[in-house]
Amino acid sequence: MLILSRKKDEMINIGGTVTLKILDIQEGQIKIGIDAPREVGIYRSEIYEQILRQNREASRSDKSVVARIAAHLPKPGGEDAMRRDTN
Amino acid sequence: MKTFNNQFGELEYDAKHVILFPEGMIGFQHCTKYILIDDIDTEPFRWLVSLDDSELCFPLLDPLLVMEGYEQQVLKTDASVAFVVASLHELPERSTVNLKSPVVIEKNTQRGKQIILEDERLPMRYQFLKSPQTGAGAGQSC
Repeated sequence: MLILSRKKDEMINIGGTVTLKILDIQEGQIKIGIDAPREVGIYRSEIYEQILRQNREASRSDKSVVARIAAHLPKPGGEDAMRRDTN
Repeated sequence: MKTFNNQFGELEYDAKHVILFPEGMIGFQHCTKYILIDDIDTEPFRWLVSLDDSELCFPLLDPLLVMEGYEQQVLKTDASVAFVVASLHELPERSTVNLKSPVVIEKNTQRGKQIILEDERLPMRYQFLKSPQTGAGAGQSC
């Protein structure tokens, strides 16, 4: 890991397109301003990690469990998806 | 027409059905091509099925079924459609949907993205079934 020391109002440039600016430093907390192209996703890491974990769980869903949960929900028809009747 | 095999058996699809996720789903950046399917056994869930990895698919729900007004909050125009990703548990009341990070698909371009909403009140694990008896719409956040 590259470690840099920065003071208030100093900046860091990453890859020519992303700029971080230290806006404020308070006890135990710093405020960072980020300039980046639209297509660069910027997320709080702990939130990103939780979503990643939730996606992993979702992707391992067992079809029989899903079918059982589905029985508790109303059944609308899907128009814009391919339809596959297994019966 | 192309075919693809996974846990749903053999799926037939046209190129026009392919939804491109340029950034993949969160945590699955390497899988960018998906199709959306319905399976009669699991309706109203729909499945986002990866064409890059036959093991990978996500059960999705129409947010209308779990929270009123949610879709309007997510979508600025009706050119897109939003789904929430479901994590399902043997115990129905422990099954959740992720309201923080819905999947948005642009209808015309067939491009999709899993976005992260800034609203801190939106839970990542929203229990959409309180108990088997109470049915849908009785959700609680946890």
